Amino acid sequence: MPIFEVAGKQYEVDEDGFLENPEIWNQDVACDFASSEGVTELTESHWKVINYLRSYYLQFGIAPMIRKLCKETGFKLNEIYVMFPSGPAKGACKLAGLPKPTGCV
Amino acid sequence: MKKAPVRLDDLAGAGKRPLIHLENEDLMSLPAPLDHPSKDHNWPPLSAQAGEKFECFLDDTCAVSIPQPKTKEEEDALVAKFLSGLDKLFVKENNWSFLQPLLLTMEHCAKCQTCSEACHIYEASGREEIYRPTFRSEILRRLYFKYVKHGGMLSSWQHGAITLNWPLVARLIELSYRCNLCRRCAQTCPIGVDNGLVAHELRKLFSQEMGIAPKEIHDNGSMLQLRVGSSTGMNSEVVKDNIEFIDEDISEKAGIHVETPWDVEGADVLLIHNAGEIMAWPENPGAFALILNAAGIKWTLSSEIAGYDSINYGLWYDDAQFARVAIKHAEAAKKLKVKKIVLGECGHAHKALSVIADRILTGDLNIPRESSMTLLRDIVMSDRIKLDPSRNDFPVTLHDPCNLVRLMGVVEPQREIVRKICPKFREMEPHGVDNYCCGGGSGFAIMSGHNFADWRFHVSGRKKIEQILNAFANCTDASIPKYVCAPCSNCKGMIRDMIAYYNLWESNRIHYGGLVELIVNAMVDVKPGFIDWEWR
Repeated sequence: MPIFEVAGKQYEVDEDGFLENPEIWNQDVACDFASSEGVTELTESHWKVINYLRSYYLQFGIAPMIRKLCKETGFKLNEIYVMFPSGPAKGACKLAGLPKPTGCV
Repeated sequence: MKKAPVRLDDLAGAGKRPLIHLENEDLMSLPAPLDHPSKDHNWPPLSAQAGEKFECFLDDTCAVSIPQPKTKEEEDALVAKFLSGLDKLFVKENNWSFLQPLLLTMEHCAKCQTCSEACHIYEASGREEIYRPTFRSEILRRLYFKYVKHGGMLSSWQHGAITLNWPLVARLIELSYRCNLCRRCAQTCPIGVDNGLVAHELRKLFSQEMGIAPKEIHDNGSMLQLRVGSSTGMNSEVVKDNIEFIDEDISEKAGIHVETPWDVEGADVLLIHNAGEIMAWPENPGAFALILNAAGIKWTLSSEIAGYDSINYGLWYDDAQFARVAIKHAEAAKKLKVKKIVLGECGHAHKALSVIADRILTGDLNIPRESSMTLLRDIVMSDRIKLDPSRNDFPVTLHDPCNLVRLMGVVEPQREIVRKICPKFREMEPHGVDNYCCGGGSGFAIMSGHNFADWRFHVSGRKKIEQILNAFANCTDASIPKYVCAPCSNCKGMIRDMIAYYNLWESNRIHYGGLVELIVNAMVDVKPGFIDWEWR
């Protein structure tokens, strides 16, 4: 598996750069992966999105619908793109330590 | 300086460097606003890590991520597996589904190159030699004459020599994933040779005999679907919860109460969506529900395994996986005793279940299947719902999903609809059965490991971007919202990603979506503004 190196730490990731073992996630992981997704600073809004994704994932084993994410966090999709330039499925899920969303999404 | 074209023998070379590396300057030129290579994105090469871990020495990208064998023995074992798979491809008992057209293709290609000129990947790449439809086929053809027909020196002189080793097999695996399986090449061949089928048969050999397939379509695709019910990972509990959320959302948006029926025995129609619609484009299943309810159709969704996800990725790479999923779809319909299955807006699901599965579904599993295009056409053209075309008073063009249009002949129903409800409809050129693939066909739309997405956007999707820009050439201004109607989840995902990549929503207000959204947007009883012109 490819290795993602940051701040002296090494993470096993898949070919898309997603954390190979979602269970090792903690807040440091989000901080360490931020720069790779073009996120310079994790604000309270970022954490609101990350925490929602994380708790949904722990309950259902997959990422939530994007529309649900928007409704539950109160952010519009374009606001999420401003926070996470590569979008909710790639950028936000990666920082929250979720596996890459699967299927035709 | 023009680079020397890659020769067939080069594929068997042991070098650990890609045979080609394309730059923006090499590619087919595009119309405004992408009318100069400098306006295109830089194209990152493969990472050094990828070159150390995976077999990716074809063209500086990587679709399959095959781990590099560690020893010569491992390499030899893989080549032996390849040879046994090659034999099976040409035995009726092992390949009753596609043997006849495959043999025709092996024996009769005249190498006239008519197909090369029809291939969007070959043209968009700047006519790169390895992307010719005949390049891939010629490798298989020479292997066929040497190892299947056991030709000697005379055969080798007649049909061409070939060196079989692991580097050749490894590059051939990647090369089988540089074709969208759109079969525009087969359509144009004067003698019926099907070079698209060759890519398919190679993928099948690699998956069924060697266990090699991209994880997006196998591990996280057909395997996940058979295990939990959907390639999205939604089990029946999650999908019901999501549809309930969509019902509420759509009811609010449309001003009409919507409740999606689940598992209704004896319904006239079992509707099967590509479950990706539910996750990523909820307005699509929502719009279907509004239309079917308004037209008074007795319909239902199914919560059985695979009964709520029409995808059948096996179509692209593995006949056994294909059959497993097709049977699940038919069983879901049989259990509910529905009159017919209707397929939502998904091209490959259409061809999989209505055409290819016809040879697998026998007896009481052979339940009638219909395209949503014809069902919607009948609803719209018979005036069963009240429509106001002036609500769709923006430029619209229509993308033809290859599986649905070229490969099934469903050409007119969706056109009758858009002509009736979209006053500013304009065709792409060419269109209908002569269309070009979106560039995401055969699984590419969901494959983005390493720098493969960059390859898709620059090469396989390039012809479609050209067509879209040309269709809207007289209304490029960002003050005019424009809509690319793509009645297929896979095409929609690819078109979305390309519009985003090239910033065409911000710069030119080019949006995209399905067909049912356009219909609901014109429904008189629905609150105006169903299409909300926000990026999604």
